Amino acid sequence: MSLNAQDLLEAVDKEYPNIPQYELSTFKGTRIAIGQSIENRKKGVLQLAALNRYWNLPNAKIQSFVADKLSARLAFEYGISDNLTIGAGWTSLEEVSDVNLKYTLLRQRKDAKKAPLSISLFQNASYRGDRSEPNSDIGFKNRLAFTSQVLIAHKFTPKFSLQVSPTFIHRSFSFNEVDPSNHFAVGFGGRYRIANHVSLTSEYYYVANPLKSRDTYGAFAIGVNWDVRFLLLQFQMTNARSMVEDGFILQTPNNFNTDDGNFVFGFNAIFTLHLIQKQL
Amino acid sequence: MTKIGVLIFLLINLINSKLEPKQFIARQGQVSFFSYTTAENIEAKNNQVLSIIDVSNNEIAISMLMNAFVFKKSLMYEHFNASYIESDLYPKATFKGVIVDFDPLATTVQTRIIKGTLTIRNISKEINIKTKIENINGNYILTGDFELVVEDFDIKIPPIVAPNIAKIISTSFRFEYQSYEK
Repeated sequence: MSLNAQDLLEAVDKEYPNIPQYELSTFKGTRIAIGQSIENRKKGVLQLAALNRYWNLPNAKIQSFVADKLSARLAFEYGISDNLTIGAGWTSLEEVSDVNLKYTLLRQRKDAKKAPLSISLFQNASYRGDRSEPNSDIGFKNRLAFTSQVLIAHKFTPKFSLQVSPTFIHRSFSFNEVDPSNHFAVGFGGRYRIANHVSLTSEYYYVANPLKSRDTYGAFAIGVNWDVRFLLLQFQMTNARSMVEDGFILQTPNNFNTDDGNFVFGFNAIFTLHLIQKQL
Repeated sequence: MTKIGVLIFLLINLINSKLEPKQFIARQGQVSFFSYTTAENIEAKNNQVLSIIDVSNNEIAISMLMNAFVFKKSLMYEHFNASYIESDLYPKATFKGVIVDFDPLATTVQTRIIKGTLTIRNISKEINIKTKIENINGNYILTGDFELVVEDFDIKIPPIVAPNIAKIISTSFRFEYQSYEK
């Protein structure tokens, strides 16, 4: 008795070994819009990023080209291994330098040994270099802030992913004693793919114990990601001017609306270089 | 007595012929594809392709996971799966067909046509593939190459990357079969 080709194909499909099947591309970039995503770069991959935020001053009497204010960030990220990425960056707003690392703890799996979530750990240390008043004479130690995040994401469908990001921030110095130096926050982010190379993103950060000496608002963004070959372009409408975690999570001084001074346009250009290539 | 002897002889032969392997499996078949353009060369290789041939009727079946293709650049792997092949939606590519005029007992190298249906992204195409078949001590090695038209499988390529991806993809394969025991 012979099998027909269809049965033979079924016989072949029964022979698949148990290879872990991980979810790929939960998010496109290592940032969803403004905050970190669970995604890491693979081993030997260098990512160069130019992040920009533009906004206008309220009631400005000046004639600026494009926008009154610009904050720019230059950063790199490099994959030490498939699970560990290190990075560093410099941001013009308050002249913040920062170093960071992200470790992939768990990856969502869809084979028999299902894992429902992807989890990455993120740690950032930032140094505020701004020497203008009243920062002129504070010491090195007082210019530091540390952000720790547990990034937890689930890819619901090939198009739709969500992330929750419990966050702890320690600031080493406050000008005002009423301000706490340890903060708890939680970020919510999502992505929806509208085409093969285009997706919509949104993010919001809630701070449980914000600064008391002045009003701050939760950082919010809606944006579009567009990826083409080795370039990822991210556009956002946001209220966050800083691009360093402790900066935009804790010290966003304005709410999200379209008024001058509050509305911030963001543009990230991220270029990927494969310094180490896989052997075929 | 001689009649019983003949009967036993026939019975043993019958059992023997039942034990003779009819099916052969390749568990680590290799399929590679190449996209050559003046702008960029893209190459990927899958070393975990499964195939079974049934020598009683010369049928062949092949199945592979699209996310098992390895690329030199990890971002290409990501784009291949997420944006072009959409391996979340269409995880496998399969082929089923018949090796025309295949003689399983011949020990010389045979060049034969495999007629069959290739399915990628749930789109099936009738295809004829030329293959070289070697028989090494009763185990078979099939090798060959053929070409695929990207458009046939409804793979959407944005105009901006069109110069970097060939319209016709060269594909090559190598399967080493061993007798298949279930």
